[in-house]
Amino acid sequence: MNALFSIVFLLAAIILLISSPETFLPTLIDGASKSAALCFSLIATYAVWLGLMNVWKDSGVTRAVSRIFRPLARKLFKTDDPETLDSVCMNASVNLLGISGAATAYGIKAANLLDQSENAEYSSSMLFVLNATSLQLLPTSIIGVRTALGSASPTDIILPTLIATLFSTLLGVALVRLLIPQGRKKTLSVHWETKKRKGQVFDE
Amino acid sequence: MNKFLALIVPALFLISFGYALLKKVRLYDSFTSGVKEAIPLVTSIFPYIASVAMLTKLLEVSGLELKITEWISPVFSFFGVPTEIAPLLFVKPLSGSGAISVLSEILTRFGVDSYAGRCACVAYGSSETIFYIGAVYFAGLKRKKLTLALAISLLSYLASAVLCCFLCRFM
Repeated sequence: MNALFSIVFLLAAIILLISSPETFLPTLIDGASKSAALCFSLIATYAVWLGLMNVWKDSGVTRAVSRIFRPLARKLFKTDDPETLDSVCMNASVNLLGISGAATAYGIKAANLLDQSENAEYSSSMLFVLNATSLQLLPTSIIGVRTALGSASPTDIILPTLIATLFSTLLGVALVRLLIPQGRKKTLSVHWETKKRKGQVFDE
Repeated sequence: MNKFLALIVPALFLISFGYALLKKVRLYDSFTSGVKEAIPLVTSIFPYIASVAMLTKLLEVSGLELKITEWISPVFSFFGVPTEIAPLLFVKPLSGSGAISVLSEILTRFGVDSYAGRCACVAYGSSETIFYIGAVYFAGLKRKKLTLALAISLLSYLASAVLCCFLCRFM
């Protein structure tokens, strides 16, 4: 991200310097003010969903939902921490429902918890790829756009969208499993080595 | 269909609150203590959202975005992606609001039910703003080795875009 940010920023800045240097600062401020406005509306969105999410937690819904997804999540994320698994499972289930506000809130929580886990690189990558490849049962926002623009059949994109999103998620998960080293094997072998070393000490 | 969709969220709240009351949860206390977390959460992600937003704005204003789109659209058309939706495919991972405006431009210009229009809808609906998610989810983490994960997400996104243009031909 650092390299990408530097390259794109410098390149765009140089182009602007040549073509229209006076637009440089207003452009940056415009971007920042858009994100400030976005954050303001995010506070409102999160206020609603975080409220509901806490009610789910207190009434035991979170536990119940995550129990359904837990076996799969444990395999995918290679972690056994119940709190982490809860957020990961809730992140996935509200994502499926298409409630992106709540999904992000659970996702951030899960990301922070996974960051402290042993195989942080693998599990954080898995979380990111799952969210970035979009899991959604009904593409509600796009159906809304199509209806608003007077489509003859606003819902006929549901099936191809579902297939495409499923495909990208499966491909992403497979690539993460293939390309990113998973911590558990490593910790096991370290464990084994320390045992062996202890054994050697014992032998001496 | 839309009436049904509109019912989902209120029903979700009604069922959740009803269930919570059955479980004797102190609803007001529970709800407010959840709401309390909203502002710290947003403050923690603001720096990252702001930086990505400044970057995408720079990309747009400098004309670099247009140039890159021009460069990559032959690659897209090689894989069977109509050139009309190349700008959308480029903007979607970067910015949600940018993607919406490009999408509505495509839909009004070529028609909602045209091939390009349907491709655009499927490509939009089946993907996420990858860079925004990266910025938000991994704001302030210590270990930030997510380059590979970013590459994987982008690759999966492009592959599924190719697939959805193929699907739209006969679905």
